[in-house]
Amino acid sequence: MSKKKLLKGNLFSRMSDTNLLLIITVAIFFLMYIGAIIFQGGGFTKPQMLFNILNSNAALIITACGMSIVMISGGIDISVGGVVALVSMSCAVYLDFHNGSIIGSLLIAIAIGLAYGIVQGVLVAYLDIQPFIVSLAGMFFARGMTTIINTKPFNVENNQAFLDLKGTRITVPGMGSYNRKGIYVPAYIEIGVVVALVLVIILFLVLRYTKLGRSFYAVGGNKQSALMLGINVKRTKFFSHLICSTLAGIGGYVYFLHVGSGSASHAMGMEMNAIASSIIGGTMLSGGVGNIIGTLFGVLSLSTIQNIVSSAGLDQAWWTGITIAAMLCIFLLIQSVVMKQRKRALKS
Amino acid sequence: MKTRAVVAAVLLLLVTLVSCRSSVVEESTTVNPSEEELITVGFSQLGAESDWRSTNTESMLTALSAENGYNLIYKNGQQKQSNQITAIRMFIQQEVDYIVLAPATETGWDTVLEEAKEAGIPVILVDRRVDVENDNLYTCWVGSDFELEGQKMATWIYDYTCMIGMAPEDVHIVNIQGSLGSTAQIGRSKGLSDAVRIYGWDLLDEVCGDFTETKGREGMAQLLQEYDHINVVYCENDNEAIGAIDAIEAAGKTVGSDIKNGEIMVVSFDGINIKALEYAKIGKISCIAECNPLHGPRVQALIEAIEAGETPDKFNYVSETLFSSVSGITSIEVEGKSYSITPVT
Amino acid sequence: MGKSMIKKITGHQMFIPIMALLLLAVVNLIVDPGFFKVTLGTNNSGDPVLSGSLITILDYGSELAILAIGMTLVTAASGGQDISVGATIAIAGSAMLRVLCGTNTRPETIQAPIIVAFLVACVVGMLCGAFNGALVSIFKIQPMIATLILFTAGRSIAAWINNNELPIVPDPKFKYFGGFIPGIPIPTTVFIVLACIIVIVLVLKFTNLGLYTQAVGINESSSKLNGINPTFIKFLTFVILGLCVAVAALIKVSRISTINYSVIAKDIEMDAILAVALGGNALSGGKFNMWSSILGAYVIQFLTTTLYKFNVQSDALSAYKAVVVILLVIFSAPAVRTYFSNLFAKISTSRKSGKEAAK
Repeated sequence: MSKKKLLKGNLFSRMSDTNLLLIITVAIFFLMYIGAIIFQGGGFTKPQMLFNILNSNAALIITACGMSIVMISGGIDISVGGVVALVSMSCAVYLDFHNGSIIGSLLIAIAIGLAYGIVQGVLVAYLDIQPFIVSLAGMFFARGMTTIINTKPFNVENNQAFLDLKGTRITVPGMGSYNRKGIYVPAYIEIGVVVALVLVIILFLVLRYTKLGRSFYAVGGNKQSALMLGINVKRTKFFSHLICSTLAGIGGYVYFLHVGSGSASHAMGMEMNAIASSIIGGTMLSGGVGNIIGTLFGVLSLSTIQNIVSSAGLDQAWWTGITIAAMLCIFLLIQSVVMKQRKRALKS
Repeated sequence: MKTRAVVAAVLLLLVTLVSCRSSVVEESTTVNPSEEELITVGFSQLGAESDWRSTNTESMLTALSAENGYNLIYKNGQQKQSNQITAIRMFIQQEVDYIVLAPATETGWDTVLEEAKEAGIPVILVDRRVDVENDNLYTCWVGSDFELEGQKMATWIYDYTCMIGMAPEDVHIVNIQGSLGSTAQIGRSKGLSDAVRIYGWDLLDEVCGDFTETKGREGMAQLLQEYDHINVVYCENDNEAIGAIDAIEAAGKTVGSDIKNGEIMVVSFDGINIKALEYAKIGKISCIAECNPLHGPRVQALIEAIEAGETPDKFNYVSETLFSSVSGITSIEVEGKSYSITPVT
Repeated sequence: MGKSMIKKITGHQMFIPIMALLLLAVVNLIVDPGFFKVTLGTNNSGDPVLSGSLITILDYGSELAILAIGMTLVTAASGGQDISVGATIAIAGSAMLRVLCGTNTRPETIQAPIIVAFLVACVVGMLCGAFNGALVSIFKIQPMIATLILFTAGRSIAAWINNNELPIVPDPKFKYFGGFIPGIPIPTTVFIVLACIIVIVLVLKFTNLGLYTQAVGINESSSKLNGINPTFIKFLTFVILGLCVAVAALIKVSRISTINYSVIAKDIEMDAILAVALGGNALSGGKFNMWSSILGAYVIQFLTTTLYKFNVQSDALSAYKAVVVILLVIFSAPAVRTYFSNLFAKISTSRKSGKEAAK
């Protein structure tokens, strides 16, 4: 009886890191949103505000999920923003200048992601080069390539099929509102949001229930013991990078679908937002701890706070940067404290 | 247990932080008891890339102030159309009375302007124009005639070079262009390229300076390495001109209007930057075509006209002049209209 | 004998940067011999100045060389890099301008002596370094992530210090630091770098800083057992880097007498890390060679200048640099090195056996 209790207690304290961090994130998101509704009212009372946040951050959700997986397995990938820009530009050029097809552009996006994943994965996993340096070079390369493909930012205008796809809206029944003219405006989300949410669910299931998913945690938690458990550490690392870059490619396409243009300055700093979202969502930098649902809420928290800051009239551009950094700082400190406690608990 | 206590403490702190911020916010938006009477305007500025832009924003903030009966929500798009679209959608959600938009690009606005129209919010464009299928998507536009600015500048250069007796083929021009695709760049570049065709000048090269000092310097340094006989530099805004002058001086050449004796003449646009006006005074910039950024009062007048039930003109131009310290030319003539030069001293 | 000599040379840490430098020099020599021409001219105020591509490299590589000094120490001690140096340059530069110009953005004269402004910038730089250092050493956060905070917020803070205005320093003397002192044809930045190098050489020679940093980087717990305080050493390296940042900020701001928050020292963190890597220092910490890093910084500036010479657009520059970085890390990766040395050994043994067979 007591033994069982002990086991249960152990299990709880072991699980608590991931879950505790997740709970904090979700709670903070809801508190922030409710606070915004109470104190700022206006737009925040309408569901469409939330959907707008989703619409403009669908790409970030996807890339942040990839980032979480790499971080869980103990790596990092700062090339995702560059990949998103490269995908946007390549697809824009293909669709607008060469009148390409939607399928073709989608293939280009995924191919760029896969190629990035394979190269970075091999360099990190099999040649044992630091992931930061590899993806740093990857980011440089992607940004540079984007300008080499086309210097000038431009909108896709000559491809009707794409414009139709870009304009496609999925109405959410029962969530609309009446505007001041008294006309009912239905609430809507863009295709990208559906893609992002489906990917979140798939990745959540993969991480939780598949062997590969669990080996990400094992490798990130402790390489030695993962090796002893018979996990192929190199292959796991390779796959984490492959998945992350492929998601960046898909995220790039979703981003492109949202903005409809190609530009070398697209998705500037997205890698940092993705890392920040993951951390806020409870992914530990040291690896081994993290949750995709947390990442989703990390993205939402991040963009809600941006919205609050700017609709509060504090739109001097620097406030956004400073708030995000402050949030990041707080969460990092929480993590650091949690880690310390955990180490102490392990010792005693 | 301890962990949880620490975390709880931090959480509490965060909540207080958030609520503090929100209460501040509440004060700022509801401080005025007569809010019902205030006209709420959402202003999506494209960025803060140049002095011209800052002055433009400043003018808008002063004209549409609370004292004048407005509640202005200002959003900086940081040069990105996607940010501006997000901002406009937020304005629509907040049900503002008017939207003022300084667009980052000309294309890609149909959908979001359609949404504003559906929500019954009039849109006033400032500065750059938009290229939409249906002109009714926006109520009116306030701004400068950039092509006319270019034409005025080209005419000035022509008059000046004729005055000092230079053959057109000896005028070797480089153009440091603004952000490619912006209305100002298209208009000003067209003004120059038309003149090059008509007068037969030698246009050596065009590089993009993105309306910034850094890019202006970089671009000019590169051009100076490639060509050694440049004598006129056509900068599409003041910031680029300042950068270009820096590069020319760093290369050991002199700027000035005495181009017959090896000086390089710099001309520019806007006339807002204090440093550039200083340069114009001492002759480092030979001529500046003004681009009037004071759109605020104009927008205010338009909103008042709409409030009064009038239909304003679709296109509203602001008046502009030329600044120069070079003596000899007092006025120029473009398409039959005469424009006088404002001397700077 | 000969073989061991070759091995000694190729195995030396300075081998890669020197080879890279020679390679770049040869490419430039072939394409345009005028690249190496240094001419003595006069600038527009009539003072003698040296000009030419080599001078440009020495001049514009200065900030990088100074940052490389601090970055090498941080890398050695913490096994990570500081990615916030560009953003902290913006903060330190902004603080400097604030002191020099006061609240007026277009003052007639400077409001405080330049030395005071510089000292304030040093304090600000060291505070930023201390912030990063505290997160890394006390809270045990990975350096790249800890510095991510200032990387995100730095430019915003810089803009905030001056209320997003762009003050212009009116004093021509302020231009000397990033330009030329009248009468001296060599760029001032060269002297600043020399001063920094002398200081760091003296510090390394007369204190245990070098030894302690390496000890901490190689094995933190064993260094602790030997009486070194790893927390303090890590903290100290970040503060030193903060000081380097302040000096680099002085040069950067002096060059243009004003500041542009969003582009000043953009991407310089990448170049600084690259300089350390190019110098053959392990990015995972431990042993370091300061000279090698400094040389690495100039090699990168050499590469940048060369690429400009080939008319590569400044935005596209990063793609070429990325290729160089990747090739570099691949060749210095332990896995690849072992593979090649095995291959080399195989070839030589097979040759030997072939020779023996011929006998």
